[in-house]
Amino acid sequence: MLEYAWLIPVFPFVAFILIAILPKRTLSWEDGAGYAIGGAAAALILSVLVIWEVMSGSTMVGDGPKFEWLVIGDISITFGIWIDQLTAVMLVVVSVVGTLVVIYSGAYMHGEGENRRRYYAEIMLFISVMYGLVISDNFLQMFIFWELVGLCSYLLIGFWYETPSAASAAKRAFIVTRVGDIMLMAGIIILFKYVGSLDFVTLFDQDTAAAVPTDMMVLATVLIFGGAIGKSAQFPLHEWLPDAMEGPTTVSALIHAATMVKAGVYLTARSYPLLIQAPESLLFVAVIGGVTALLAASVALVATDIKRVLAYSTISQLGYMTLALGAGGYLVLYADTGGGYSAAILHLMNHAFFKALLFLCAGSVIHAVGTNNMRLMGGLGKKMRITSITMLVGSLAIAGIPPFSGFWSKDEVLAAVYHAGEFDGIFFLLWFMGIATVFMTAFYMFRMWFMTFAGEPRSDYHAHESPKLMTFPLMILAALAAVSGFALFISDGFKYFIEGSIGGLLHEVHHESATDILGVIFGDPLTYVSLVLAAGGILLAYKMYCVPGFDRSVFARGISGRLQVALENRWYISKFYDDFALRVVYSISLVADAFDRYVIDGIVNGFAYLGGRSGNVIRMAQTGNVQRYAGLIVIGLCLLLIFMLYIVPWGGW
Amino acid sequence: MIPIEYWLVFSSLLFCVGAYGVLTKRNAIVVLMCIEIMLNSANINLVMFSSYHNVLHGTADPSGQAFALFSIAIAAAEVAVGLAILLSVYRRYKTIEVDKINILRW
Repeated sequence: MLEYAWLIPVFPFVAFILIAILPKRTLSWEDGAGYAIGGAAAALILSVLVIWEVMSGSTMVGDGPKFEWLVIGDISITFGIWIDQLTAVMLVVVSVVGTLVVIYSGAYMHGEGENRRRYYAEIMLFISVMYGLVISDNFLQMFIFWELVGLCSYLLIGFWYETPSAASAAKRAFIVTRVGDIMLMAGIIILFKYVGSLDFVTLFDQDTAAAVPTDMMVLATVLIFGGAIGKSAQFPLHEWLPDAMEGPTTVSALIHAATMVKAGVYLTARSYPLLIQAPESLLFVAVIGGVTALLAASVALVATDIKRVLAYSTISQLGYMTLALGAGGYLVLYADTGGGYSAAILHLMNHAFFKALLFLCAGSVIHAVGTNNMRLMGGLGKKMRITSITMLVGSLAIAGIPPFSGFWSKDEVLAAVYHAGEFDGIFFLLWFMGIATVFMTAFYMFRMWFMTFAGEPRSDYHAHESPKLMTFPLMILAALAAVSGFALFISDGFKYFIEGSIGGLLHEVHHESATDILGVIFGDPLTYVSLVLAAGGILLAYKMYCVPGFDRSVFARGISGRLQVALENRWYISKFYDDFALRVVYSISLVADAFDRYVIDGIVNGFAYLGGRSGNVIRMAQTGNVQRYAGLIVIGLCLLLIFMLYIVPWGGW
Repeated sequence: MIPIEYWLVFSSLLFCVGAYGVLTKRNAIVVLMCIEIMLNSANINLVMFSSYHNVLHGTADPSGQAFALFSIAIAAAEVAVGLAILLSVYRRYKTIEVDKINILRW
């Protein structure tokens, strides 16, 4: 069965082709939504079969079907498939969220008219290449799909390209992630230079990896992680993600929350056998993750655009995953356990569900209210019962309240980071950042929920519950967000399952029963610290935004006021990039432009001018007088004769 | 037999007369006639070398004479084409002076 996994991306791709080329009449319902749902559902069914196979113990790592794509000398570049536990988790995420988002779009995009065909075609292309990305078995193939998801992201952010802000946000997302992509490419090239192959099966072999010089390994892994920084919106390349909210909300839910931004985390997790060779890179990964988690969460505290809150929250949660991966590497190296790795992957899955849910809920709210600004909302809870309840489930999940999914994975992440502190003190600092983020996460999520659903309406609108086609995916995702954390307890435990994909790195595998895991989680005092902080955050949000009469202006004064201004300006990072682009890059461009215009073009134009002028002079020889030509022929013939008869014998040739 | 050098000098002179006419005469018909003279000087050469073949190599070789006949036939055809061209040139420009017909230039 696994060797047919390559069919998974084919179904959405066929749907993409059909939607793109079929005549409009045959697209029928919603300009192609039917084809889109069909393609996504077919891929979902196949994915489920593959996941089932993986769960029953069979994987396909390096022995799958391959086809030769490119042969250069002795090196042949192949395309193949790589199915292991990590792939299975990604398949769960992409297939479930992808299908639900496409169904949801059926109602959400109803008002877009002709543009729906473009939307469905692009979204099917995205789903297809995302599947391709997660089943790739070498870095080059992965990189190709990596770029293609970036392309789809660009196209879909710029869906409303007539709006200048959407067009520029699309360009920004494309350019900023491209910085990371270049780093990824450089990392891949370094690996190729030293190993001579890009197949995972060769690279992940510990002996070949050890043949790479240590400093080059550090450089290569840091560069590969650089790709993840761009794609997963980690500090300092995170500012494109909030801007990416210019796209339709469904796109934000699918691409910029659940799947594409996870590609960076997936890449880091996939490169684990390489990262393990370079503990310095692991530390770098962890620090970037921790800083991102804290920084993004702090900006989310003051954002007033409902989608931007969720965008910063996404960045922050991606930071958690990266942090867990960095810390997890130390655990694999020194403690021989995959705790951090499994925590990151579990959080990846849980986050995909609850963040997709939150985005789709936000979409439902925006659909009803017609604005993104939370200051103009309020009191929607009574009118939009399903949306408010499902969003509450999502908020509780992300805030880390048991038994919702976020609690389990976030707790595992923090426990792994704390555990890694035994091997390097800096992880304690990162743990503090993580735990501070827990508080902030709970606060900003419930600030959002209360501002949207509680109290009285703050502007004039006639909200109503969204159609069933939209609430149905919400309910499914809410159910998943509530229970997906229990994956921790299925059969031998999620940790045992996911350790299968880094099996070569660990010396012994750990069987843990559900009671063992529960005992560890609830026997640890740190669990209660994060729980208390999360509850505190929710309470504070309740006091500030739900109970009337709280004077929020106290925060606008003094140091906290200044902090608030800094937060509202996104820590000036965005401004820094704008200034940087305007001053430095623009002036360099001006110089380059002048050089091109006057030096390069000058030389080229000069030659053209020279040719023209000399042609003007030389053409005077063509008089049109036949007798002159004949005279010249005779003179030439005479000269030739003189040359042949006298000069040549005289010279002795 | 007349020595071979005489023939060579004779045909060269004939050729030079023709070439001079081609280069200097303004009337296109005279130019055409001069071209004929040049052709015939070549024909004289062909016939002359053919008849000297026996003297120089001991065997007869009539191919030079055959070529001379070819050349005469081709010259006839050429004159027909040339005169036809001149006729149309005359119809178009009302002149056949070669230095007036110089539109094929810059």
